Amino acid sequence: MTTAQRTQPISTLLDPATVQSIADEVWPSLVGDGEAFVPVPVAPPGEVVSAWVDIVGPWTGSVVLTCSPATARALTENVLMTRPPVVVDDEDVADALGELANVLGGNIKSVLPGESRLGLPRTGTAPPRGRLDDVCALAGQWRGDFLTITVQGTAPHPSGTEVPQ
Amino acid sequence: MRALVIDDSRAMRRIVGTILTDFGYEVREAGDGRQALDVLEEGWDPDLCCIDWNMPVMDGLQFVFAVRATPAYRQVTLMMVTTESETGQIVKALAAGAHEYLIKPFTADALRDKLALLGLLPEQVTA
Repeated sequence: MTTAQRTQPISTLLDPATVQSIADEVWPSLVGDGEAFVPVPVAPPGEVVSAWVDIVGPWTGSVVLTCSPATARALTENVLMTRPPVVVDDEDVADALGELANVLGGNIKSVLPGESRLGLPRTGTAPPRGRLDDVCALAGQWRGDFLTITVQGTAPHPSGTEVPQ
Repeated sequence: MRALVIDDSRAMRRIVGTILTDFGYEVREAGDGRQALDVLEEGWDPDLCCIDWNMPVMDGLQFVFAVRATPAYRQVTLMMVTTESETGQIVKALAAGAHEYLIKPFTADALRDKLALLGLLPEQVTA
């Protein structure tokens, strides 16, 4: 039996309203006073960047934050409270976006059943999704720009065997 | 007062460090538990360590164990500042020797309240 067959899908463990309530706490605290993730979808940009953390436990998958590179930079400037002429570099962007994913992921882990481990944040191209029903996605925007928070199960290993942990 | 902020995220180190500096602390930073031990071994003697849990090289819990195993560091107050919010994790950290626990995300007011509880809020902030 594979991991994907054995565990309950995230859609039975978590709903978008819970993800939104977590984002409602994270945004003002990390991004800035009065800032909010607004759950009203907008058209996706041509290019996106993602930051994510893995959760390993009774449910295994990732919490992925995805936005355009320009939005990632603007988020970073807010998190770091930088003002021109200070320019944030790519390392700052990866770090700040990763920390946002980390705080979202840690709080999402806390509402899942059982004991789980949280991985370290990573950035780049989002990991592939697993089962179609093992996804809880919240599409929205920040300051009118595309941003999504996706809680997704791990894709099965291409060999069809157990996903390596 | 002196504080050592230990977090693998530069952004989070800056956020915590800025709040503590505003409170009047002298702040140094470390990117993981090993780097933090290096700072202590140099002889820089903080009143407070703010410690993330999940970090590469040496995580926050390992750092707490290492500090508590060293009599020379007995006076330092250890506060976890982390996304790990399950009761089991909090109990584990407190049992290892952490004094306080602050869950991310947090506000400057929440950090100030924790410092007040610990008696580590400089007078000019309390006033």
